[in-house]
Amino acid sequence: MKLIIGGFAQGKLTYVLERDRSKSYRVLEGGCLRDTGITGEPEENNAVDKTETDGETVILNHFHLWVRNRLKADGDPEKEIRKFLDRFPDCVIICDEIGNGIVPVEAFERAYRERTGRIVTALAKEAEEVVRVVCGIGQRIK
Amino acid sequence: MMTLIIGGSGSGKSAYAEEYLLAISEDKRKYYVAAMQACDEESRKRIERHRRMRAGKGFITIEQPVRIQDAAAHMEAGERSALLECVSNLTANEMFGGGRKRTEEAVEAVVDGIALLGKKLTHLVIVSNNVFEDGCVYDEETMAYLRAMGWINQRLVAMADEVIEVAAGLPIVIKAGTDRRG
Repeated sequence: MKLIIGGFAQGKLTYVLERDRSKSYRVLEGGCLRDTGITGEPEENNAVDKTETDGETVILNHFHLWVRNRLKADGDPEKEIRKFLDRFPDCVIICDEIGNGIVPVEAFERAYRERTGRIVTALAKEAEEVVRVVCGIGQRIK
Repeated sequence: MMTLIIGGSGSGKSAYAEEYLLAISEDKRKYYVAAMQACDEESRKRIERHRRMRAGKGFITIEQPVRIQDAAAHMEAGERSALLECVSNLTANEMFGGGRKRTEEAVEAVVDGIALLGKKLTHLVIVSNNVFEDGCVYDEETMAYLRAMGWINQRLVAMADEVIEVAAGLPIVIKAGTDRRG
């Protein structure tokens, strides 16, 4: 697994897609996935469950939005992402850095921000590579 | 020696700072200077979480919400190092706690306090926060706080021998010092 982090609109997905043009990619949109698709019963709209990757590299984009949705739905993002990684061990996870601001007034926003940070920190530990993208430029931090 | 470690919420900066201090202080006395005050259930939980992280690592905790230089009075003499956590709480306490200060006064109180504390220690590791990148426009008081934090961080960077940013638990060197961790 490779992890890409950076601020909003910094060109993270473009960075990944253009870095190795010899590969083909399947981009899963974190903001739209109902869950990782491999938790519980298969569902009708479960994109991931039906994903046949045919040698494509899976990119989980907007990972922070997926965490957000899972928290809203009382899910267990720490556990669910493990199952996702079991299924797609060579995936690329792209996540906004959302922790660099004033502590939000709302409890949910505080929890979302902190848990996203902690999950990403845990992912970084096991990632084979971590890149931070600023203004479209990638800086390899692991 | 002074080291500044900066990062956002959930960046892993505290865990990194603890490991860093443990690595440089060997068997010397280690203090944890806590600026955060437990004012509600959430802050109590946060403090508890940090306590658990430090448990068994040999830190002696000193609670010092304002006038951070006074923490030194609670330390034993001799070689000692400390982890100060964190500048954002200290700044809020100086600005908004009890005797309310003007922004400039709060900045001086924080920066001078840290400088004085640093002089009394073998090594001071300071944890500060990146609170600057959410693009929001806040009320006047919060904007003043953001400016204060920005000024303080800049002055601390100038003062520090080494500055490290932590993202996703990984260090990014902003200002390189001598690596004494071997």
